[in-house]
Amino acid sequence: MTLAALTNDQRDALQELTNIAMGQAGSSLATLLDAFVDLSVPRIRVVEVVELPATLSDLVGKNNLVSAVRQSFQGYLRGEAIIIFGEPGTHALADLMGYEGELAESGQAELLLDVANVLSGACLGGMMEQIRNFTETHGPAELSFSMPSIMVRDVPAAQIIDPQKVQWTHSLLLEVNFTIKDRNFVAHLTMLMPEDGIEKIRGIVDEFIAAF
Amino acid sequence: MTLPILVVDDSAMARKMLIKSLPPDWDVSISQAANGIEAMVAYREGKAAVMFLDLNMPEMDGYQVLEALRQEDMNSMVIVVSADIQPIAQERVMSMGAIAFVKKPISFDALNSVLKQYGVMI
Amino acid sequence: MSEGVIPFSLAENVLKRIDVGIFVLNKNFEVQLWNNFMVHHSGHQAKDMLGKNLFDAFPDLPKPWFTKKVNTVIMLNNFAFISWENRPFLFRFAHNRPITGGADHMYQNCMLMPVSNDSSKPESVCVVIFDVTDTAIATTMLKDAMERIADISNRDGLTGIYNRRYLETRLESEFDRTRRYGGTFSMILFDLDFFKKVNDTYGHLAGDKVLVEVARRMSDQLRTTDVVGRYGGEEFALILPETPIEGARVFGDRLREMIELEPVIYDNTTIPVTVSMGATEYSADLASYDKLILQSDVALYASKAGGRNCLTCYSPELETIAASGAKH
Repeated sequence: MTLAALTNDQRDALQELTNIAMGQAGSSLATLLDAFVDLSVPRIRVVEVVELPATLSDLVGKNNLVSAVRQSFQGYLRGEAIIIFGEPGTHALADLMGYEGELAESGQAELLLDVANVLSGACLGGMMEQIRNFTETHGPAELSFSMPSIMVRDVPAAQIIDPQKVQWTHSLLLEVNFTIKDRNFVAHLTMLMPEDGIEKIRGIVDEFIAAF
Repeated sequence: MTLPILVVDDSAMARKMLIKSLPPDWDVSISQAANGIEAMVAYREGKAAVMFLDLNMPEMDGYQVLEALRQEDMNSMVIVVSADIQPIAQERVMSMGAIAFVKKPISFDALNSVLKQYGVMI
Repeated sequence: MSEGVIPFSLAENVLKRIDVGIFVLNKNFEVQLWNNFMVHHSGHQAKDMLGKNLFDAFPDLPKPWFTKKVNTVIMLNNFAFISWENRPFLFRFAHNRPITGGADHMYQNCMLMPVSNDSSKPESVCVVIFDVTDTAIATTMLKDAMERIADISNRDGLTGIYNRRYLETRLESEFDRTRRYGGTFSMILFDLDFFKKVNDTYGHLAGDKVLVEVARRMSDQLRTTDVVGRYGGEEFALILPETPIEGARVFGDRLREMIELEPVIYDNTTIPVTVSMGATEYSADLASYDKLILQSDVALYASKAGGRNCLTCYSPELETIAASGAKH
């Protein structure tokens, strides 16, 4: 199946939709960590799955070692959120969450999972809210989440995903990064949706554009 | 007298959404800018008696625009319209001279009440 | 109200009998719902729990952590999860495997959901507890088995210390780590002197015993971060993290002396043993970890050529000795 690329208008609209949703995620993170969060401009790509490792490398930085958490969502939309944490990751987080001293391994893991969960929940929740407000949904516009899990610790970004293990051929990738400057904390939220989701998103985006 | 207003946002979609939410009978002439640099150009041309300003833009972001305006005497009523709704962001823009902060997505009512509150609209 | 409303009595029945724990807390952590699973496993009746503060009924619950977890759900209107792999359980319940056992207690996964009439402002949190004891036991067994397999494949069958493959992997990662983060480390290659003669004189079983003994004595002397392994037939390697060349020399000499002073006893025979050693330290201008091995080898050769039973530290001048003589 050849996937038609998004038009400029569609891309722009999707970027704005993502921007609003990511703003909510950023606000949730800021509240959770009681810190100011810098949000980047969202990046949107339709990517062939074989290109995913190179794309992630590009987005996150080729030489940086990262840890990644995945969380799947299903319902009105389905896909996986992958939250990529930059190197100092857990130390900065532990500090921000008020843990003193060195955190044990399981404590670090729990932190990554909790923050990842907050980001993906807020962002996807934000998107669903826009969808409910601006489009006619067929069926309940709800999402549910599965338990997040850690994919990798301290590896280069290209190693996060093994394309051979992914069952679909194309993926819609939405990415924003959240930075807390003086704490050297960076997290990238990437949302990956399979082909059928891409078509659904295209429909949503067209409705969004038509509403204005 | 027709009020010159400026809508600043890197997303064409967002600018459309904002313009659509403005009060329909408001006597304004609308200009648009896609980033801070274009915004400052328009401002210096007198097109921004009221400025609707996004925060998150490439090249020159909303904070940098507020800073530049402050240095040039702040002759514009700036209403920040942003998806970045964290409380510290809101405090920051207000302390930098914005008269109001409106969350995205825009609602007609929210915008209306801000405009009335600051006497921008008759 | 959405389509497909379940009759209340049916929902109640399902809630009662379902094999997961379900309870609901309001903002003050007072219990609003307590299903049968919770009753059976906690021993607290629903009528006793309703309206009661959860922490009063369960003083062992980690209060600050759980409070923050629940409050975050309410504040952010977001799901939250607890995994048995980070926290084995929320409530210490007995598991339901009284005969086959395999665990001390029930392992639990938990899901926390915001609950309210108006979906944007949650007033309560619903906590769902899943008994994942079977999964936990299987996963733990699998992990243990895999660790043992990995370990075996890294070890030398005869002596039980690490094998060459593992040594090279460790050396490479130590090299990369030092190059990236700084610090230093050293390595020592050592070789049993006249080992062929030992085998010829006392037999191969004696030779094996000598190898095992030397390996054991080396292992006993190591600090926790040091690594010793069997590099070849009668050749061993030592990796000493955070150790500069002087420290390696002192440490190596001590080991060498210890081996020299105490012969190996095999089948009532006393077998004297000495070792020759070559030591070298990491340097930023080395292209790769193999160069380190080459340097140690050069130093080792110098020890052999210099009369054996000694330790030589690498220096570039030694390269000429190695080049001029045949390989030992």
